[in-house]
Amino acid sequence: MSETFNISKPKERIERIEDVLATVAAGDMDARIQSETEDDLSGIEAAIDLLIDDLTDELRQSAKMRKEVEDKLSKIQEQQKTIVQQQEDLLELSSPVSKVWDNVLILPVIGTLDSQRTQIMMENLLQKIVDTGCTIAILDITGVPTVDTQVANHLLKTVTSARLLGAECIISGISPAIAQTIVHLGIDLSIIRTKATLQDAMIFAMKQNKRSEDARLQMQQSNSDEKDV
Amino acid sequence: MNTEIHDKRIPIIRIKDFLIVSIQVDMHDKLAIQLQSQILNEIEKTGAKGVLIDISVLEMVDSFIGRMLSGMASMASIMDAAVVIVGMQPAVAITLVELGLEMPGVDTALNMEKGMEMLENRIKEQDIDF
Repeated sequence: MSETFNISKPKERIERIEDVLATVAAGDMDARIQSETEDDLSGIEAAIDLLIDDLTDELRQSAKMRKEVEDKLSKIQEQQKTIVQQQEDLLELSSPVSKVWDNVLILPVIGTLDSQRTQIMMENLLQKIVDTGCTIAILDITGVPTVDTQVANHLLKTVTSARLLGAECIISGISPAIAQTIVHLGIDLSIIRTKATLQDAMIFAMKQNKRSEDARLQMQQSNSDEKDV
Repeated sequence: MNTEIHDKRIPIIRIKDFLIVSIQVDMHDKLAIQLQSQILNEIEKTGAKGVLIDISVLEMVDSFIGRMLSGMASMASIMDAAVVIVGMQPAVAITLVELGLEMPGVDTALNMEKGMEMLENRIKEQDIDF
């Protein structure tokens, strides 16, 4: 029984294998052994060739995947940028205060309120009150879906600050859900004047306007009467 | 330093039945206490029916000044004089509310004119009640 291997030109072939492996390790994936002899070593040579094939495939695939991931990452970063931009826009847009009548300001609030937004809203409103000299401000929260403790507290603060400036603040459009939340949270809104709809609030504001106008006229009248006497 | 504070008295002007106090300097605690007693003395002396306190140039208010203002309003009202604080700045209002000084008993107005109107109305209402 022969124990020797049947290999022709073993030294050259092993050198060839070493060469190919070195080339592949250096990054050239096209190198193959491609031995044409059929003997005990040819199986190993074929296996090495196969392994190099598999490795090439694997490398190509991972490169493709890395590219995909990078593409997605840049897309996400872009989206992030858009979101930040939109948030800033929203903060700017979210609290328009407009004068709708003599002495009457309206602040329509739409969307969910958070602390930051309410803070900006409050500052805007107070500044506008001072700038225009309006004594009635209507805070319409028809477009607000929910309210939590903090936001309710902020609303309260807004109304109180407006009062300190010398303006009256009316809250209109409190939805059933908000009314329930507020009462469940135990927040006392009784010190604040609330109206069902923006229309009611407007009517109230007009009446208030008329009342103070009448009072002023009467005052002038009585003053001139005194002078006549 | 001490004499400086004493020198800076805040003028109290009397027009008809009203006293007009325009705070145009930064308020120190000492000045605030002094102003409080000054106004109350003036109310007694002149028999004024209303006090207008203009704080439109006051940019900063601490809890002490806030309490002093609301305290003054209640003191004056038991001396039969209505107090109206006019021209508060938004930042001051926010500060006071954040400090929890909502000044429930104090009347406020946007400017001197509206404050004056308010006082006149108040006094007239009292006349009618009488």
